[in-house]
Amino acid sequence: MSVLSAEARREFEIHRYPVLVYALVPVLAVVLQAWLPRLLGRFAWFDLPLVVTVFFALSRRNPIQGSILGGVLGIFEDALTGHAIGINGIAKTLVGYLAASIGILVNVENHAIRLFLTFVLSLVGSATYFFVVRFLLGLSLDTDWPMELYKAFGNSLIALVLFPLLDRAKMRD
Amino acid sequence: MESFVVRYRNLLVLLVLLVAQILGLAMQVRRASSGQADGGGVRLIRLWANGIVSPPERILHSTGSGVSWIWNNYFDLRHVRQQNADLQKTVDRLRLEQAALLEDAKQGQRLQALLNFQQKYIYKTVAAQVIGSSGTDQSRVFYIDKGKSDGVDRDMAVITPDGIVGKIRDVFGHTAQVLAINDQSSGAGVIMESTRIRGILRGNASGQLQIVDVIRDQRIKPGEKVLTAGGDQIFPRGLPVGIVDRVVNDPERDGFVDVVLKSAAHLDQLDEVLVITVTEPRFPPDQQQDMAASEALKSAEAEQQKTSDGMAEKLPGLLEPNLPTDQQPLNDTSNPNPVSKPPLAIHPDRFTPGNAVTPNVQGAPDGSQSPGAGSSESTLKKPLPPKSSTSEPHSTPETKPAKPSTPQGENR
Repeated sequence: MSVLSAEARREFEIHRYPVLVYALVPVLAVVLQAWLPRLLGRFAWFDLPLVVTVFFALSRRNPIQGSILGGVLGIFEDALTGHAIGINGIAKTLVGYLAASIGILVNVENHAIRLFLTFVLSLVGSATYFFVVRFLLGLSLDTDWPMELYKAFGNSLIALVLFPLLDRAKMRD
Repeated sequence: MESFVVRYRNLLVLLVLLVAQILGLAMQVRRASSGQADGGGVRLIRLWANGIVSPPERILHSTGSGVSWIWNNYFDLRHVRQQNADLQKTVDRLRLEQAALLEDAKQGQRLQALLNFQQKYIYKTVAAQVIGSSGTDQSRVFYIDKGKSDGVDRDMAVITPDGIVGKIRDVFGHTAQVLAINDQSSGAGVIMESTRIRGILRGNASGQLQIVDVIRDQRIKPGEKVLTAGGDQIFPRGLPVGIVDRVVNDPERDGFVDVVLKSAAHLDQLDEVLVITVTEPRFPPDQQQDMAASEALKSAEAEQQKTSDGMAEKLPGLLEPNLPTDQQPLNDTSNPNPVSKPPLAIHPDRFTPGNAVTPNVQGAPDGSQSPGAGSSESTLKKPLPPKSSTSEPHSTPETKPAKPSTPQGENR
């Protein structure tokens, strides 16, 4: 019985998706993130770009790709907010890197692990965001941690539905 | 070195990305603090983001609007037909309720006006509601919901605050039949307010009021008010009947006219009426109090007058009808207590009592022809007798003649 090296196992478990999915899903995430809060108001307890970042980072298991994807989506979010560009970029860059790095170590096929990772990484993203705003930019920001918990919980619920759907678009060898 | 880069490739890329973004943030913050606008790169990123996000957002918005429209105008209208039927029923019910309430409100206003009139009216009345009619145009009678048990009797007047309506023709237990004044068989004595021309009011064939058998008079003009004359023993005097509408010649008798009236009461829209049950005047409490006080005063005056008359009968009068003028007690100088005279004028003129009454009296030397004047003149020319000066102080003519009369009587 041959034992696969870590590199070989990673290569073996890398999920590949059609280019259209890579292009459309992040854009759709950003668009919906900008559009749905208009309908839901203060009940928009989710961060779709973060969920998409986590999903692709876990699926691709490539920290560089995860970091770049998170950074790009974060920068797009920042560009739409009118604030300084890079706050969400830094947070999601870190989230993408961590998700991909953890994805190498654990079995990401398990839905419970995915949900738990999404929950934890959402909190990490929020903490990073507050760190950048408060300590790098020196701006005042009200930290509403219950709201961040709700948001992390909402992201987990969305991941519960979205991840299996996106898994269906996975390319088979 | 190459192995280091390969080994820590991921971490290095992360660091590069983070550092680049931190530097970018620092530059943006620096520009913002110095009041400068976003740099070209930042604006370009915002433009791209907007260009990428806006079209799908617009599509989503229009799609959402379309879905919302479809939902609101189709799926959400599944029970609208039933709701519409229910609402229609509700509208019908509310319309009926509204009509009933409106009718109640109107009736309330009419009853309020009737009550106000009834309270102010000096005769005792019973309010009644019109409950039916004769059913034909030839007979203008109607029925009211008050009868013998309510004190209603035949030939009682039926009125409204606007004017007279008719009289009770038949009385039953709890209802009564009223003959309207515009019936051809009805009649009432009326008088025109300004010309004071009297006549008999009857109804004509078309249900109009007219005063018949009136001698032609140019003073009768349209618009004149007509009141009840009070001579028919049914309608009290002074109630409004109507106003003169026109004057038409009596076709049967020359020189006579019929005066057609517009009824003061709305005879064709009667709902509530008043039946005058007692024609004894009924005054409000304050008026009754005034009347009682007036009666008491009158009786006191009568009592005083009676006492005065009694005393006058007992005492002799100043004037004796059987004696000549010069022998009247007032002119008797022998009277030890003569009647006091008015004070003398210092400068007598024609207005002085006794001077201007008649020239003869003024020209008389002693004034004996006029008791008053004569006494004045004599008093002016002659000093008063000692008796008079020593007598009692001035006394009134009404009380003092009693004493002088006594000696005169004694003289007789």
